[in-house]
Amino acid sequence: MTPEGLTLAVPSKGRLEELTRKAFAEAGLTIARPGGERSYIGSMKSQPHVTVRFYPAAEIARELIAGTIDLGVTGADLIYESSETGPDHVVFARGLGFGEADVIVAVPDAWIDVRTMSDLADVASDFRARHGRWLRVATKYVNLTRHHFARAGIAEYRIVESAGATEAAPASGSADLIVDITTTGSTLTANQLRILDDGLILKSEANLIVSRAAAWTPARKAQLDAFLSIVGGVAPGLSTTL
Amino acid sequence: MTSPSDRFAELTRLVEAHTVTRVTPPLLLPAAPYFELAGEEFGRNLLLTTTNNGVELCLRPDFTLPIAQSFLADGRAGTPSAYTYLGPIFRQLDAQPVEAQQAGLELLAQPDPELAIDQVLNFIRRVLTIYDIGAIRVRVGGVGLFEAFLEASGVPAAWRGRIRHRFGHPEALARLMERLARPDPGGSAPIPEDRETVVEIVTEAMIAGGLALVGSRTPDEIADRYIEKQALSAAPVPPDVVRLLETYLAIAAPAADAFDQIEALASEHGFSMQPALSRARAHLNALSALAPASDVIFDAGFSPRLDYYTGIVFELLGHDGSILASGGEYDRMLERLGAKAPISACGCAVWVERLERERTR
Repeated sequence: MTPEGLTLAVPSKGRLEELTRKAFAEAGLTIARPGGERSYIGSMKSQPHVTVRFYPAAEIARELIAGTIDLGVTGADLIYESSETGPDHVVFARGLGFGEADVIVAVPDAWIDVRTMSDLADVASDFRARHGRWLRVATKYVNLTRHHFARAGIAEYRIVESAGATEAAPASGSADLIVDITTTGSTLTANQLRILDDGLILKSEANLIVSRAAAWTPARKAQLDAFLSIVGGVAPGLSTTL
Repeated sequence: MTSPSDRFAELTRLVEAHTVTRVTPPLLLPAAPYFELAGEEFGRNLLLTTTNNGVELCLRPDFTLPIAQSFLADGRAGTPSAYTYLGPIFRQLDAQPVEAQQAGLELLAQPDPELAIDQVLNFIRRVLTIYDIGAIRVRVGGVGLFEAFLEASGVPAAWRGRIRHRFGHPEALARLMERLARPDPGGSAPIPEDRETVVEIVTEAMIAGGLALVGSRTPDEIADRYIEKQALSAAPVPPDVVRLLETYLAIAAPAADAFDQIEALASEHGFSMQPALSRARAHLNALSALAPASDVIFDAGFSPRLDYYTGIVFELLGHDGSILASGGEYDRMLERLGAKAPISACGCAVWVERLERERTR
């Protein structure tokens, strides 16, 4: 946190980095990364008061919520997942039109009797009596899953935290169903998994996000508004809501 | 009595009375049993820590579970036992850590469950006396009453489990009632094949998906539920039974009135709610003593979201709407924890700081 000037965090690698830099470049804000892949700091020539930091996407979500960076580009899903109250600590300034991903509930296609969350509630309710264990949901989206299942009135299940290849969990026997992200649904289809009719938890995409928790002085608010007006697509005077 | 520490000392004497055994389970407990008993929804409120070899522990979030576990571990399953406790519990609410003092009573394997529930209510009354307050509102629910109602009111057996399971979750129950009232149009598709063929279709789909046929839901289980679901949407709950259910769940009134309403509703529809109703009525005096200045409200739809509760459940509310004390009967809990047969259990927990706050309001 600089007393003057803004800190903008962007994804540090992969397609997200590429598309983020492209989106800013289209607005005339070219990001320089002098040290290349290995450097974690960059700048915008036309905006000398903006410091660019390269972080992993999940870290950007955490730092925005904590207020240690002012703005960042990351997936909305990561903000919702980082903490139950995560969305309260940020303002989604603008969707960027890439990194689209839906967080969904999917069951084995063979579960022909389960089409809705309500069906799943029925299955969960007597699963333990039948199998001597809770229904298991594999996911890395623990908070989103708990929230969505609680809303559907499902309490009788356990989460199995999955670091990767969540879609393989039902076949490997480590879980019965999954909560995961999907863009085209092809990975799910390939694994004979089917999204429930009301199984969409969150439609996510990469967003330009402003931290509410950062120390917003009037001077920095003015800089923020000026910066957002260049980025485009952001309602003017957003800083007044901080 | 003048100071909070005087009152705390008095509360300590109450939990150390010679008729009860005060127990103090460890502060650090294995987390798995809580997840096993109460699932993710309660689990999200635990304050967790992990040992280097990956064992998950939690700061004691309540006393009931460790007390019940040591009761079973000590081989006391058949022995009437009365345990009390007083000490800190730890949870997280909205990602904020919460440390609070709780006192309570657990009556396990008591021969007379009616007497036991009155003893629990009496314990709370004595706690309120120490703090020189009465509850602003006492809210009572009847899990046993609702189960009796489902049984007696003509709800088809296949629906009962589904309805019972959503009891205590008003939104989920409302959605189910909607489904009952307005049969699922997609579900009215004809049953295409006989059971064997359905099992075969499911088996093939499972094999195609690389799923093991044992260990999770089996082809038979899926086929049966599929056929049952078709049958249920073909034979929905009669509209008058749905209305009857809705009427029952909407009952929320001073308890004596509410019980009369339930009795009238039952006799109007030609069934009886005995003995569950007289059981509930029998505790009205003990409940009323907890809130001398206000009514005891019976709320037919009120229940904790834990399916091991069985009979009467209650909570006492203070001026700011916070829960000062809560409890009830949970005869299914000890079986869940591994007891060979159901063991009667009831108890309560009171929140010490909230009682203090209520007093100084």
